[in-house]
Amino acid sequence: MENNTTSNEYVRGTLKTIVLNLLAEHDRMYGYEITQEVKERTGGAIALTFGALYPVLHKLEQEGLLLTESVEVDGRLRKYYSLTTPGSEAARTKTDDLERFIDAVRLLLAPRNLATE
Amino acid sequence: MKRLQKDRIDLINEYLKSNKLDPELLPEILDHLACEAEERLWDGKPFDQIFNNMKDFADGQTLLDLSVDHKNLLAMEKSLNDIVFEGRNKLYGAYDLRKSYGQTIQRSVIIGVTLFLLIVMFPNLYARLVPDPKPDDIAYVVEAAPLDIREMIEKPPVEEVQPAPEPKTVRSLTPEVLPDEQVPEENLPPVLEELENAQPAAKTLDGVEDISIIVPPAPEAASAKPAIAEVEVKKDEVFLNVEQAPAYKGGVEAMSAFLQKNLKYPSKAASAGIQGRVFVQFTVGSDGKVESATALKGIGFGCDEEALRVVKLMPNWIPGRQAGVPVRVRFTLPIAFQLN
Repeated sequence: MENNTTSNEYVRGTLKTIVLNLLAEHDRMYGYEITQEVKERTGGAIALTFGALYPVLHKLEQEGLLLTESVEVDGRLRKYYSLTTPGSEAARTKTDDLERFIDAVRLLLAPRNLATE
Repeated sequence: MKRLQKDRIDLINEYLKSNKLDPELLPEILDHLACEAEERLWDGKPFDQIFNNMKDFADGQTLLDLSVDHKNLLAMEKSLNDIVFEGRNKLYGAYDLRKSYGQTIQRSVIIGVTLFLLIVMFPNLYARLVPDPKPDDIAYVVEAAPLDIREMIEKPPVEEVQPAPEPKTVRSLTPEVLPDEQVPEENLPPVLEELENAQPAAKTLDGVEDISIIVPPAPEAASAKPAIAEVEVKKDEVFLNVEQAPAYKGGVEAMSAFLQKNLKYPSKAASAGIQGRVFVQFTVGSDGKVESATALKGIGFGCDEEALRVVKLMPNWIPGRQAGVPVRVRFTLPIAFQLN
């Protein structure tokens, strides 16, 4: 649990990018599917809580980056999300940004002699 | 995958509702939690435990945060009107009016500005659209029918007017006093024989001989024949000798009868035995009137005055004529006073 909360601190800033990137790989996804995907691919290192995920999804939808469609599955309404054209562009740029940021952070975190070399 | 029973889903639904989750979020969260519960069921856990676990991580605070988040997100889109009319009757009409207020104002401003500009610029636009007439522009064409002016002049023919019979005239001009060498030979005055049968005029014409009454030429005829009009006779001029001397109406006999009848021998002259002739000079006007009579040479004793009185009594004479035109002629009349 403690592990999760610490990771959540970093997740909060990168959540948008993670969601966009995942949606760029899939046609359409629903909320629980995204959390499961993240959990599986990170081996449980990053666990998205629904309390953090859905506000982000709604915000992206409002910004016009995501499209939604509701499909009835097992007697429940399941809301699927997919990227719009500006959404896929945003996914690309945001992923690039994040990668550059991670590289920079890695340089910062690496031992000094390694970084200079 | 194990399916969640309907009553269990309802249980989760009730739980979410009791925590006042936003109804718009409810189906999504319900689906999420149901999926998770099914996953746990798959793992072989009892539902009660799963449900309690769910209550732990999906606690009231988290759900409330979700609702607030969602509301804030929507509030960005919501206008003031939506907030004002929340929970009120929007069908009443005021909501629509308020909602379309911005559009209405925008449209009316555009229409108003356009109309205003049109009205202000109307003269300018009109001047641009209607080009100024060029000087060589033709407004309309009038077919000019050729008019024969000569024909029109010929139309009033003078032939219908019977030309007055021309009196036979002999060229006779007013003699002018000139040095000998300048006197033109051809302007000699007519001889008496010529004048017997003809009227003196500015031109010699072969006209009708016995015209006793000389009709004044018609004004048209006069203008048509300017040769006659050329003769200008100064009416004010007093002539001494004219071609046709003024004469007493009725002749010399009539005049002497008039004199005998009116003359009275002045008693002074009679008693003094004065006889002789009084020369009375007077002017016969162009109208025949006797005027400015004076005694040129008299015999006195009241005879001159008597002679003058009688001369002034005389009726109008036939005026003397020069070139056919009546003129003023000075005339001297001797009046004899004789005692029997």
